[in-house]
Amino acid sequence: MIAKEMDILRLSARQLLTKRLRVALTVLGIAIGVAAVIGIVALSDGIRYQAIETIKAQSDLTLIEIHPKTTDGVTQLITETKVEALRTTPHVLAVAPAFSDSYSTKKQTFLQVVAVRGEEIDKVLNLKYTSGRAFVPGAPEVVFGADLKDRLQRNEGIRMGDIFTALIREYDENGMPVDRQVPLTLVGTLGNRDDQFDRYVLIDMTTASQIRGGQKGYDTAFIRVDDPDMVFGVVDQITAQGLEVSGAFEQIKAVNQFMDAILIVFMIFAVFALFVGGLMITTTMITSVYERTREIGITMAIGASENDVIRLVLYECLLIGIIGGIVGDILGYLFTVVLNTVGKPFIIARMGPEFSSIFGNEIAKISPEMAVAGMAIAIVFSLGAGLYPAVKATHLNPVEAIRGLI
Amino acid sequence: MNNGIQTTALSKQFANGVTALTDISLSIRQGEFIALVGRSGSGKSTLMNILGGLDAPTTGSVSINGKAVDYKDRKNLIDLRRTQVGFVFQQFNLIPSLNARENVAYPLLFNYTPKEERNERAFRLLEMVGLGERSDHLPHQMSGGEQQRVAIARAMAANSSIILADEPTGNLDSKTSAEIYALMRTVNKEKNVTFLIVTHERELASYCDRIIELRDGRVIA
Repeated sequence: MIAKEMDILRLSARQLLTKRLRVALTVLGIAIGVAAVIGIVALSDGIRYQAIETIKAQSDLTLIEIHPKTTDGVTQLITETKVEALRTTPHVLAVAPAFSDSYSTKKQTFLQVVAVRGEEIDKVLNLKYTSGRAFVPGAPEVVFGADLKDRLQRNEGIRMGDIFTALIREYDENGMPVDRQVPLTLVGTLGNRDDQFDRYVLIDMTTASQIRGGQKGYDTAFIRVDDPDMVFGVVDQITAQGLEVSGAFEQIKAVNQFMDAILIVFMIFAVFALFVGGLMITTTMITSVYERTREIGITMAIGASENDVIRLVLYECLLIGIIGGIVGDILGYLFTVVLNTVGKPFIIARMGPEFSSIFGNEIAKISPEMAVAGMAIAIVFSLGAGLYPAVKATHLNPVEAIRGLI
Repeated sequence: MNNGIQTTALSKQFANGVTALTDISLSIRQGEFIALVGRSGSGKSTLMNILGGLDAPTTGSVSINGKAVDYKDRKNLIDLRRTQVGFVFQQFNLIPSLNARENVAYPLLFNYTPKEERNERAFRLLEMVGLGERSDHLPHQMSGGEQQRVAIARAMAANSSIILADEPTGNLDSKTSAEIYALMRTVNKEKNVTFLIVTHERELASYCDRIIELRDGRVIA
């Protein structure tokens, strides 16, 4: 069985050898299509990779912020049960539930306050203090983020160890705002983190709760994931629990969406190229079947079935596809090499040296999977293109074919 | 019992209304060497094509080696061409890209004969037709007579019991024609293969066991 297929394949190979130039041009047609696909995917993958690596390097990817979902204007706060569910989610290292509040200083500087438990938030954020220490649970003490510390020191002269007055806005029976004054001590300042914590005031949850006179649930939870590659899985699980999730991973999502969109547009052009290659194969094979009308007639007369004839034609296409795939892979590889050696300096020159770090390695990345996919595309297109000529060949009337009447 | 070819009330009418064969009833015994003669258009080739399973009769039936040919069953027809009937054509009709041995072995490719066996049998057949030395030659490197010898060897490759030859010497000079006839006769005698040979040449036809003459689609002799 297999031996017969190999024999037919060998026959097809010999047929191809008898028309080398035509086959070479056809192969080139399909190869250019494959190379275009590979080049485009490699380029977009390379840019995507660099962008994501940059995001990974510049932001805290494994930190996820969770908020309750608001439906129809009603927000269900995060309960202790939900926090427990978050703690038991795989790949979650630590969870710090929190609630937000806002105070202001006497000079009306807005203070965004995050009420947390010291130990929990330290596990998630791994806080680094430039001076001072963490707050003591239950004490009227706060910790400032780096930016906030600079601003308050500059504008209001609040320094480490100072007791300052925070204004807590409340409303009386008539709905009129009343500011209650609460003295707080600045016991610690954080190092620069390049995230929102640089602008936050951290306060102990018990203290914050006492200031507001009770608290019903959490409006935020911070989560530390153990592995950057696991972030998206964790995000999916948490979303499934009916919570909203945000974090640096969203930038990666945005990059992926953007690159996917670009890829689709470019792919349309590449598919055109492949389509043209496929048409060339169809033309070549129709010509070949036409030229061999008599031969196919004889082949049927001496006992070849319609399937045999279809295979004789399709195996030629298969071979064209395989060679086209190999040549296409090579051309695609050369294309990425050219992009990386010539294109990269060009892009950096145009965009400025600050982009040289983004394109640190390669702007086009080719993978073995791409080469395999390129091969598969070439074969599928070739076989698809050969289908019509193959079926056409079986419709030949052997009697007329042999007599040269067709 | 009924080895050979039997046809009963065979008729063929083409789609354009032309009647090619009318009421042909023939009985050909296994091992007969028969000439089929008649003017062009008398239905000789149509009869050959029907017997070889390349064309179907409008009415009537054909039985080959005791088995009725089912013209509606394509598989049955393919089987007939694969195992029972070999063709020899006026134009030799070898595959140009294959050498002599490969051409002879070609029919065996389609009935799952292993490669070694194909090659061996092809070589033996080529030796039998006197072309053992030329097995590597391509068709265009051979003379007409040689090509027709290869074609005869090819028709015998699948051990067919019947060879249908449509003007096998039509493109050959008289000396070569006589040689080809002699070869077919040898094969006929040695292998007991039935030959049905379409020919114009009365002289060659006279070498045959029997002459069937067609006129306007009917058997007249």
